[in-house]
Amino acid sequence: MMEKNHYRWMLVPALLFLLLFIYIPVARGAVMAFQHYNLFDLSTLRFNGLDNFKAVITDKNISFAQILLNTVVWLFGSLIFQFVLGFGLALLLRKPFAGRGLYTAFVFYGWALSGFAIGLTWAWLFNGQAGLVNDLLIRIGILKQPIGFLSNPRLAMMSVIIPNIWYGVPFFGIMLLAALQSVPNELYEAAVLDGAGSVRKFVSVTVPYIKPTIVSTILLRTMWIVNFPDLIYAMTNGGPVNRTNILATQMINKVFKEYDYGQGSAIGVIIMVLLFVYAILYLKIVEDSKEELL
Amino acid sequence: MKRRSPYPIVRFILLALYLLGAIFPLYWIFITSLKGPKEIYTMPLQYLPSKASLASYRKLFSFSNFSTYFRNSLVITLISSLLAMAVSIFSGFSLSRYPVKRTKGILQLVLYFTQTIPTFIIMVPIFTMFTKLGWVDRTGALMLVYVATVVAFSTIMSKGFFDRIPTSLEEAARIDGCSMFQSLWRVILPITRPGMAAIFCFAFINIWNELFLAVMLLMSNDKMTVPVALNSFISKAGISWDVMSAGIVIALLPTMIVFGFGQRYIVAGLTEGSVKG
Repeated sequence: MMEKNHYRWMLVPALLFLLLFIYIPVARGAVMAFQHYNLFDLSTLRFNGLDNFKAVITDKNISFAQILLNTVVWLFGSLIFQFVLGFGLALLLRKPFAGRGLYTAFVFYGWALSGFAIGLTWAWLFNGQAGLVNDLLIRIGILKQPIGFLSNPRLAMMSVIIPNIWYGVPFFGIMLLAALQSVPNELYEAAVLDGAGSVRKFVSVTVPYIKPTIVSTILLRTMWIVNFPDLIYAMTNGGPVNRTNILATQMINKVFKEYDYGQGSAIGVIIMVLLFVYAILYLKIVEDSKEELL
Repeated sequence: MKRRSPYPIVRFILLALYLLGAIFPLYWIFITSLKGPKEIYTMPLQYLPSKASLASYRKLFSFSNFSTYFRNSLVITLISSLLAMAVSIFSGFSLSRYPVKRTKGILQLVLYFTQTIPTFIIMVPIFTMFTKLGWVDRTGALMLVYVATVVAFSTIMSKGFFDRIPTSLEEAARIDGCSMFQSLWRVILPITRPGMAAIFCFAFINIWNELFLAVMLLMSNDKMTVPVALNSFISKAGISWDVMSAGIVIALLPTMIVFGFGQRYIVAGLTEGSVKG
């Protein structure tokens, strides 16, 4: 009995931190989404039903459909390449070679860097006056004049997705490499005895074995990309003409520029609901495909 | 005879391309920070600066209070990472050894759920709460929030490390007359040192890089952190890339150093909890 009490007490500090600074604020944020809450005019603080949601969705200056579409493009444009390139890197690193430890340190360290500082770094690479990308393209002869990648409405989204891919590859590399290294060698040996080639080994042994890692990393990364405004905030802050404005950056703008906490919280609630639905559908589809295979 | 596979060469080329891609953007920002303000904007660009100059760094530290911001970031990050590590040693140990299965399951759900909550959802409610408490613009209050943002994942990591240590070890210590805390402190912690290092590194990296909470909760210029300072360099007139590039290099260095030292442990810890990137 004494024993159990000890274990309880040891949990208290951590749970207190989570309750006070995560769970209560989240609940409070959900309530705010239904309130008129503007920092400039706190005397008008009151419940206003669904007004914030209506205001956000029917905004005349910033089309909500456009922001949703941007969010989807930003998510899948980043996620697919992050995954494919990260998986490729993990496969290349599976078998040991001289200097692998040092090599992995250099290709993985992007994970540890600040998304905001990385955004600024790429803003400089894509700079319209003296950016490296312009310089390279002019040297190769593709361009004659430098172009403004971040101010061009047709190029801006691509120009923020590329750094996000760069930033996300190490995460998939780290996680998938660890999963690959956990595949028992006997499985490969057995597959070879059955006459499997390398493609067959990959499809029938590697992928099924590491599938749980693939499923969970893709889901987690999805949430993470949708909730990651830092990079766009540093590079374009949603511009030009809202071409890179995603839900997360729109929320930051509502809070930091308009001080409209009610509408900002409403966007936050929309993001969480969308992600929740997405997670359930995603896990359901993964479950169903498992049954089909059986 | 098998014919020689081209795979090793292809593999070598691909690995070289990955390395080039990973390093080049950072090489470029570093090289930019060593160029003079004129050279930075002159096309065609110099891929190796004709002469390295520290002028941008001198400008960075003289015209802005950058050394103050750096010190603020360092103090905030070190204290909150250490606190997060201490808190999650206890919570992780408790969770690993918790006798009631159901409670344990619920607690883990509470921890995992926090990983899906975006930081900016809690930003506004924390700001209004701190306004009422008079905690806005207090470094200590920001540190508490930072601990909270990393403590769930740190606990998951720490539980993973303690799970690997057989309970027979503490039972033996208990028979020798140690209390539970003594056995944790003297017997178990020393063997999980790499795990604790991983938790510290993870917390350090996340807290050092945080921008929006710091923008929201700190007001005074002399309390600003490094990311907030970089944010303030962005003006309507544009960005002076000489000073900015130097600032970015200084902002990136600490987490690069921490990752360099702790890489092995961080990778183990990340895959242990298999959560947040």
